[in-house]
Amino acid sequence: MNDLVSIESAARGSRDVADVPGASPSRVPGILTFILADVLVFGLLFVGFMVERLEQVALFNRSSATLDVRLGLLNTLILVTSGLFVVLAVHAARAGRAVATRNWLLASFIVGAGFGVNKLIEYGDKLAHGVSMLTNDFFMFYFVLTGVHFLHFLAGMVVLAVLWFKASREAVDGPLFGWIESGGLYWHMVDLLWIVIFPMLYLLGAQ
Amino acid sequence: MNPAMSNAAYFKYWRACAATGPVFLAAFILCWGVLGYNIPPIPADFTADQLAEHFRTHYNEVRAGMAGAMLFGVLYLPWTLSITKVMEWINPNDNNMMSTLQMWGGGLTVVPLVTSSVFWLTAAYRPDALSPVTLQMLYDQGWLLIDMFYAITTIPMVAIGVGGLNDQRSRPLFPRWACWYSIWAGLSFLFELLMPFFKSGLFARQGWLNFWVEFLVWFLYIVVVTWYVFKAIPRLEQERAALLTQERPARLAAA
Repeated sequence: MNDLVSIESAARGSRDVADVPGASPSRVPGILTFILADVLVFGLLFVGFMVERLEQVALFNRSSATLDVRLGLLNTLILVTSGLFVVLAVHAARAGRAVATRNWLLASFIVGAGFGVNKLIEYGDKLAHGVSMLTNDFFMFYFVLTGVHFLHFLAGMVVLAVLWFKASREAVDGPLFGWIESGGLYWHMVDLLWIVIFPMLYLLGAQ
Repeated sequence: MNPAMSNAAYFKYWRACAATGPVFLAAFILCWGVLGYNIPPIPADFTADQLAEHFRTHYNEVRAGMAGAMLFGVLYLPWTLSITKVMEWINPNDNNMMSTLQMWGGGLTVVPLVTSSVFWLTAAYRPDALSPVTLQMLYDQGWLLIDMFYAITTIPMVAIGVGGLNDQRSRPLFPRWACWYSIWAGLSFLFELLMPFFKSGLFARQGWLNFWVEFLVWFLYIVVVTWYVFKAIPRLEQERAALLTQERPARLAAA
């Protein structure tokens, strides 16, 4: 029996089983499930925020007025700009231009990093003034919504970095393109969520 | 490993193990949820006296429910193994990190399921002899354990998704959407991190997000994964049968 190759070993070693060249379909429809589920939960959180707000309008307005609208606006511009660069990266990848793809991904990462810096400044200021998630219901939503969004942002930054790295080693219009497109869709979701979070937290009730 | 093992022998028990998933789900909802009064949970903002009153009134249902939850909770283990076996065939040339992580994470998920039931069972065992505060502590501890040990369940959920996304078949064993759902569902449990900070509202143990949404997401994950495991098994039987047919003449020639 020693000279016989086991069927299981052969199966695990065979390229016939799973490796079908060129068969890997686009990842885009798949990640839409992730995005839709995520947006749905955020949507529920937004509804929860508005319901609570209706019951405590004065408190929510008073708390909202302590937020720095300029920082929120700056973060909106940062994310929208970073999103534009990702669109340009996807276009470059579709055309097979690897250097341009990497450059746009890098630009998106660098601009996007400004969002993280801003948020950390904002969180630091709030915590230094003794404002936390437990201060009141408005700040519970503030820290949860922006905190969960911040985790999404960090994940997006990691995705951009990985794509930038992989784009130097693989053809950008090959199988990697599906991942670049999926990463772009994810990054737009991060934009989209912020575009709702910003007016809801910073502008409703602003003085 | 037996090269002469027939397909019938190789795939024996796969379906039985996969079927333990829905059995677990149905029994867990009935025992842990309905009999154990955990759907929905007793609110965290109840007083100790209110909670004691509940246990002193419903102790027999809770005892039966928790005994059932501890019995059927272990079915998560064979169900997990059926997923592992399918995952091992997703990309046979890759390493088995994802399938192994899935197996360990899914298997260890039994621990919070069963251990948290012990706390509720303890509360229901001598509810008249224990003080309200002690009963409250036991009930809280059960919920803190089952909710806060979510990460051990996140690991297999993410592993299934990552492993499945690497499937090179034109029609993957786990569809892309199911893989992304699994990853998202596992990560969505991060909301449970907020549970210890609140006794009311959406993040409390009885809150609409941390209870209703998160548990429904988990239950749906079990249904989706089971469905695709059952769909994968006959496909793998065909793939292996084809390999057996290819290998047999080669072995005969070599002999």
